[in-house]
Amino acid sequence: MRRVVITGLGVVTPIGSGWRNFWEALLAGKSGIGPVTSFDTSSFPVHIGAEVRDFVPEQYIHRQTPENLGRASQLAVAAALLALQDSEANLARYDRHRVGVSMGTTSGEPLFVERYNNIRKADGLKAIPGEMLPKYPCNVIPSNIAIEFELRGPNLMIPTACAAGNYAIGYGFDLIRAGRADLMLAGGADAFSRIPYMGFARLGAIARERCQPFDKNRQGMVPGEGAAVLVLESLEAAVRREAQVYAEVLGYGLSCDSHHMTAAHPQGDGAVRAMAMAIDESKVGIEDIDYISAHGTGTPTNDRAESIAVRALFGNRAGKVPMSSIKSMLGHTMGAASAIEAVACALALRTGMIPPTINYEEPDPECDLDYVPNQARETHPRVVLNNAYAFGGNNASLCLARYAV
Amino acid sequence: MHERIVITGAGVISCLGVGVEEFEGSLYSGASGVKPSELFGEHEITAEIRNFTPQQWLGNKGIRVLDRSARLLCVAVHQALCGSDLRLDDSGQGDPGLGMICGTMFGSLHSITSFDWSGLVEGPNYVNPMEFPNTVINSPAGQAAIKYKLRGINSTVCAGLASGLYALHCGAEFLRFGRARILLAGGMEELCEESVLGFGKSGLISPSGSLRPFGKNRDGTILGEGSALLVLEGEESAAARHAKPWMEISGFGCAHDAQSVSAFRVRAEGATASIQEALASAGIGPEQIGCIVSGASGSRTGDEMEVRALQNVFQDRLGKIVICAPKAAVGETMGASGAICALVAGIALRRQATPPTAGLMDGDTSLLLSKDPQPFDGEYALVTAFGCDGNNTSMVLRRWMQ
Repeated sequence: MRRVVITGLGVVTPIGSGWRNFWEALLAGKSGIGPVTSFDTSSFPVHIGAEVRDFVPEQYIHRQTPENLGRASQLAVAAALLALQDSEANLARYDRHRVGVSMGTTSGEPLFVERYNNIRKADGLKAIPGEMLPKYPCNVIPSNIAIEFELRGPNLMIPTACAAGNYAIGYGFDLIRAGRADLMLAGGADAFSRIPYMGFARLGAIARERCQPFDKNRQGMVPGEGAAVLVLESLEAAVRREAQVYAEVLGYGLSCDSHHMTAAHPQGDGAVRAMAMAIDESKVGIEDIDYISAHGTGTPTNDRAESIAVRALFGNRAGKVPMSSIKSMLGHTMGAASAIEAVACALALRTGMIPPTINYEEPDPECDLDYVPNQARETHPRVVLNNAYAFGGNNASLCLARYAV
Repeated sequence: MHERIVITGAGVISCLGVGVEEFEGSLYSGASGVKPSELFGEHEITAEIRNFTPQQWLGNKGIRVLDRSARLLCVAVHQALCGSDLRLDDSGQGDPGLGMICGTMFGSLHSITSFDWSGLVEGPNYVNPMEFPNTVINSPAGQAAIKYKLRGINSTVCAGLASGLYALHCGAEFLRFGRARILLAGGMEELCEESVLGFGKSGLISPSGSLRPFGKNRDGTILGEGSALLVLEGEESAAARHAKPWMEISGFGCAHDAQSVSAFRVRAEGATASIQEALASAGIGPEQIGCIVSGASGSRTGDEMEVRALQNVFQDRLGKIVICAPKAAVGETMGASGAICALVAGIALRRQATPPTAGLMDGDTSLLLSKDPQPFDGEYALVTAFGCDGNNTSMVLRRWMQ
């Protein structure tokens, strides 16, 4: 089987677009969370979100009419363009049937559902326009990337909610590893929408002021939006074309809690199994893991369950492995989250720096690990784990390693 | 990595019945579920599941929180587990090696829309928090995992009309990589007012209310609903638990060729490439295909594209290969359709006869379609699933032989 490496990174996030801006902001501990602007929150109990502001789709979308695409597709195409440019892969030299797209999402293109209901409320069902439906199914996101860059290979959406980015990267990894594709664009995308915002608000899961993962006084998560795309290819191909290599994908693990639709298993059953499978498949040991990018949403139960799971698997070593949550800065970008976090992991491996958990003030006795509080740290990690958990009890952990020539 | 992936059972619910036996009986009798709708009024023609009473399989406990899409999927899981000697887990422990991959196009679209509607009309503080979990696209698979204690991989995949075949392919890959021992893989789609209205508005539904795949006067499709799951495992796993394989997944091909997300590519580059790749990965030539189970659904351009792709691959032999188009009887079940067609292919391989294609008129086509079952002699079946969003998939299934 072929070794798989990451050779291009593209992100569109609430703290900046393009990996250089993004990384600089992450290491500086900059927050992308602010008052929601995309809809009126006056009837909500909470008002903050992590939106991608000043996004100009025309800057990124050239082969299609930007306004024909849903916002998640727009963000995704932008991230794909940035990733392709960053990889310096010359698509003209590829067999397009062997270049594919694999994306994850939580809500797909929910703004079409919102529009459907807005029209229904204002003018009745008769006024629903005919061109809306084909733009809605969530697989339009990878389809629109394929159309934009004329890619003819495998094209799949894996809508496994907030773990979807890791699933999609895993699928891309499998296709490259097995020799079924030569280049894969893999990642995740979600658009800011009132639908999940209403749901999380009603569950009382949204923080009022800021996102404080693992802090004793954490109040919840903050919904966000964004997209990330990683360029995956075989090590052999990357070396042949003298590509920059950010990191190697070693393996991943998937599991299901089969416990509760929205709450994590209290002992982290599925989370432990997903991490263990990822480590096992990667042929490394627990002692090799130098950094964990936490799912770390900032809700009381998620952060506790994740800390318990890491302690259960890592034992005495648990407190010695730094584990941070960049959701403290980015909010929870839903299906894009684990893809954006995978980009952060790749950059940590490449630059030697690990990003902090900001807003961390008071340790929680139930969360007793090293969360890299408030300051980025230079640790030169060699092997890292990227955790992602989702509604439906879906768990996905991805293992990445520094690539040294 | 090169282990053979076999199918040892299946579960299905559709307008043609629940469970493989009932489905097979209806299908081969030439029955069709395409009828005036009871759910959306008689002016709509659909292939819906009538008098759906999931309680008889799922019991009453916990069923209230399941929406229609989750109920359909759970019935298919129930059937698949019962029909493959996998005991329903009553120990409460669950099996970490048993998972599921669900293909779907819209997921729980009705729950998503209703939830938003309730927030819009009554205000965000009045939405029902119990209904929020059903607004994620993977909720049916998550709900089924909870109900049936499926603790292994749980994934949902969406590739439009190709979702079902993609789910089977992903399942086979996961097994080859050793990520699970047994996977229930296939697809699910519910009928709901939003999809019926949306498809109707977009001009894809047959105005004459008839679904005539490859028909000369075809004028669009008819929506259906249902779920089909195949029980996938490696040859060794099946042998270890003395499960009798039924067929194996020999090959899969996929190609994307859209220029927009709403138009078929009549030149059929992607469809052709997907069939060629499926044959190549099965290691066979077109002459070894015994029958074709087509995903044709009565679309003017879609069916034309499919004929062109089949001609490109089979050339002069095309008129000699028996072919069937099950959507004529079960409707366009979208994300479920690839899995339903794969199930039909498995049944056809076992019986060595394809089922009738309902609604066929004389002189409709030069393809070897028939209103009656058609016997054939062959080991391999080709299944096609092409969508107007550019996703084209093909799968080669083989009758099980040691």
